[in-house]
Amino acid sequence: MISVSNLTKIYGSVVALDKISFKIEKGEILGFLGPNGAGKSTAMKIITTYIAATEGEVFVDNMDINKNPIEVRKKIGYLPENSPVYKEMNVKDYLTFVARARELPPEKIKERLDWVIQATGLESELRKDIGELSKGFKQRTGLAQALIHDPEVLVLDEPTSGLDPLQIIDIRKLIKDLAKEKTIIFSTHILQEVDAITDRVLIINEGRIAANGYLQDLKLKAAAYQTTFLSVLAPFKEVEAELKKISSINKIRLIEKESSENRTSLKITSPANKDIKEEIGRIISLKGWQIISLFDRDFSLEETFINLIRKSKSQGEN
Amino acid sequence: MDKIMIVMRREFNAYFNSAIAYIFVVVFLVLNSAFFMNTFFLTLTADMRGFFGLIPIFLAFFIPAITMRLWAEERKLGTIELLLTLPIETYHIVIGKFLASLAFLKIAIAGTLIIPIMLAKLGTPDWGPIIGGYFGTVLLGGFFLSIGLFVSGLFEDQISAFILSMILCLFFLLVGYDFIITPIDGWVNGLGTFLKQVISMKSHFDGIERGVLSLKDIFYFITMTGLFLTFNIFSLEGRKY
Ligand SMILES: Nc1ncnc2c1ncn2[C@@H]1O[C@H](COP(=O)(O)OP(=O)(O)O)[C@@H](O)[C@H]1O
Ligand SMILES: [Mg+2]
Repeated sequence: MISVSNLTKIYGSVVALDKISFKIEKGEILGFLGPNGAGKSTAMKIITTYIAATEGEVFVDNMDINKNPIEVRKKIGYLPENSPVYKEMNVKDYLTFVARARELPPEKIKERLDWVIQATGLESELRKDIGELSKGFKQRTGLAQALIHDPEVLVLDEPTSGLDPLQIIDIRKLIKDLAKEKTIIFSTHILQEVDAITDRVLIINEGRIAANGYLQDLKLKAAAYQTTFLSVLAPFKEVEAELKKISSINKIRLIEKESSENRTSLKITSPANKDIKEEIGRIISLKGWQIISLFDRDFSLEETFINLIRKSKSQGEN
Repeated sequence: MDKIMIVMRREFNAYFNSAIAYIFVVVFLVLNSAFFMNTFFLTLTADMRGFFGLIPIFLAFFIPAITMRLWAEERKLGTIELLLTLPIETYHIVIGKFLASLAFLKIAIAGTLIIPIMLAKLGTPDWGPIIGGYFGTVLLGGFFLSIGLFVSGLFEDQISAFILSMILCLFFLLVGYDFIITPIDGWVNGLGTFLKQVISMKSHFDGIERGVLSLKDIFYFITMTGLFLTFNIFSLEGRKY
């Protein structure tokens, strides 16, 4: 449904997008994940034809967005970042304006208005000026506006940012409900958000794609490792030298705020299928050091995400 | 055409959703009438020469206030992103906004019709120059509105848009006066005269206001208006890159 190839956007000297390519199939819902400044909004602004790319191509439903911008816009419902709205208009007038501008025939406007108002739970707010609405209702108005023409494609830029936890749950549920019949791309900088809505994820960082696939795969990758926490009364250098003897350890990192001259707290990464606690315990008691704590837990999805981003960053710098 | 009307309607209603619009209209009418009455009671002639003599300078201040928010506010609020991703051509949106501001201006100007009505009660005014004057005022108003609309698209801040629009309107007005032209000619020989003959609105407005409708004068206002609306469209398209 959406096909992006070699998309590049340069603002003056800032490279916001650096040759990214990806595809979204019809009916898919894609989480666009990345830290602030990664280029998520830039990509969305290009897909929705608000700004032009420096290089690269975008097709929406097999239409080149540069050749057919008006037709492309008809297919898309767009919620820009921070959900901008005309403050001095009331909700109903605003939605009616968008419905007309979106070429809904007059006899259909009422039907679509009713549907969208019900779907976004705006019944009680119709006569209020948008400027007076709470953040949650403002966001819903933005969503309602994006849905009014029943578009095939929805582009939602950080649809839950700035909302309270209950509102977040509501909006996520709404997106999930809509996913049944639409192709959706939404952005977020929170991994759990993707996890709560969909499995299909595209991770971008500093304008490049760091990962493109399924959260499930990331979870499997994550599950391949475990993290062991060790706290012991001994100097870091000596503990490190001893632990290096254990071949199945991948990485040792000092947790500085929990360590001192004579006390060492470590975060150790190793393959999930090896129990290294026993071996660590044996080595340490051989040295006669006192163990304060030793426990492990599964490698979290969040850690996998952060590692991916670190990796893409170091690749970019090379 | 439908699209233009849809944009225009929203934009026109937006004027009346803010108190500022009402305040501007009232101030415009009060100032205009005050100046008119002043000259009227001095000369006691049943014409509106004094009124139309002053209207260009009033418009140079009043119109930037009408147009400053048209794009600057959209940029500040971010609604421009919604507006320009609607399935509407940019030029439809620009024309829609322009016509909305023109409609608003016409309402303000219509408020001054009380003056010719009063003149008709008091004496027998020469209608030619009065009708011509109103016609010229609308043409000039359209021109200044197109300047203001274009400038508004360059700023996020309404006050900056107001100030630059006002300077531009005053420029097109003042280059018609010899006290401005002579020093410019002294500075770069011929430049002042060129500005006066080609750029200035004064001679064109004066012609129409005398009740002489010449195609050349009408052509001037329509061309200038079209030119600034085109600048506006280009600056919006250029913003994409
Ligand atoms: N209009 C602009 N002018 C200059 N730089 C910009 C502009 N918009 C975004 N950027 C820069 O492009 C990069 C990507 O921004 P953005 O797409 O907004 O990221 P995200 O939405 O992922 O937080 C950032 O470094 C940002 O500062
Ligand atoms: Mg963003």
